[in-house]
Amino acid sequence: MKKLKPLIDALSAKPVNAPHGWDEREIKGIFASDLISDILIADGEDILLLTSLLSNQVLRTAEVIGASAVVLVNRQHVPIALSKAAAKQGIPLFHTPLPKYESCVCLGRLMEPV
Amino acid sequence: MSSAPQPAEDTSLRILELAGNLKIRDVMTRKVFAVTRTCTMRDVQVIMKSNAINGVPVMDDKYLIGFISVHDIMNAFEQGWMQDPVTKHMTTGVHTLSEEQPLSFAMSAFSKFPYRRFPVVNRHNELTGIITLRNINMALIQELSRQLNVIETEGGRITPAATSENCIFYRIYRIARYDFESGGKASAELREQLQARGVAPKIIRRAAVACYELEINIIAHSYGGTLTIYVDRDRVRITANDFGPGIPDIDQAMSEGYSTASDWIRSQGFGAGMGLPNTKRLSDEFVIQSGVDMGTMVKSVVYLNPQEKPSDENK
Repeated sequence: MKKLKPLIDALSAKPVNAPHGWDEREIKGIFASDLISDILIADGEDILLLTSLLSNQVLRTAEVIGASAVVLVNRQHVPIALSKAAAKQGIPLFHTPLPKYESCVCLGRLMEPV
Repeated sequence: MSSAPQPAEDTSLRILELAGNLKIRDVMTRKVFAVTRTCTMRDVQVIMKSNAINGVPVMDDKYLIGFISVHDIMNAFEQGWMQDPVTKHMTTGVHTLSEEQPLSFAMSAFSKFPYRRFPVVNRHNELTGIITLRNINMALIQELSRQLNVIETEGGRITPAATSENCIFYRIYRIARYDFESGGKASAELREQLQARGVAPKIIRRAAVACYELEINIIAHSYGGTLTIYVDRDRVRITANDFGPGIPDIDQAMSEGYSTASDWIRSQGFGAGMGLPNTKRLSDEFVIQSGVDMGTMVKSVVYLNPQEKPSDENK
């Protein structure tokens, strides 16, 4: 289990929506996918979701599976509609310029048991 | 305790509420006047006249092989065919409904096809009844009367037939085709309701994902429909009803990876063909019924205390 903050720092990710106490959230697993149907099959709790999808349904899906936070990979900018939806839902949302594979490798190393 | 459902803005939604959990077999006429293939058009005309009916099925043993309507009789009268056997002038390939189908399927069928009655068959394809718009109207009026009676005797609280005193949450959502923006509203509300009642996170997640999959199915694959959520102390019951187009091959739709989604739906991140199998995997009880051109009904039940199977009450 890791705190969310060092994971976000490692990705050089910038906040789109960072509700109070986001950095203290615990992350038990990482899940990366661009298919909502796959995300809905993801098991586990306290997940950090990595995706390059930009539709509002990504946030809905994250909420439905109880994800702790979402990182949009390979993104310099985020649509305003998405940042508004994240604020409304109160879900931590970040974006990183790193592509998905690099992001996964980076987080994979951090999540490995010491 | 749930609040009673408010009068819906939309009449069709209100009618769907009234139809509730009724099935075709609950409202159809079971006494059917039928003829065999050896009967003549004259025999049918006599049966119609003496019983004041407008249509007679033609049977081979217990199976329906055709249908004679008043129109067919008038035609035979005009053409001098009254002594001909019914098989010569009957309508074949008759559209039937199944007695196990939800009443909403019959309502869709009447609005989509020009027929005034549908023969009803059981799972063995044997004729068991006939359904007309009159049957449907009577069933809806009966349910309305029951609700009015409850208002008069219990001081204004309507308890729909689908609910009981154990009901914690009950709501019907109207869902429009391709309205991805609204997708997930019902599951978000279900999640909140369950969280507020301290339900285990794993159970909440199963119910919320099953609900979300069914919402998205109506949005992406149907012409629109309703999603009903009912929660009591033991279970969450989610029922999705849509107005079509229906699923021709349910086994195929239930297999992982099969999808009819368009490129546009896929561009929204959906359409991997996992929705129905995933819903079934997450459900403690799962039922699907579909009629081509009539609609699809999916019911998913998630137990709140999985170690104790709930009693059959209010199922």
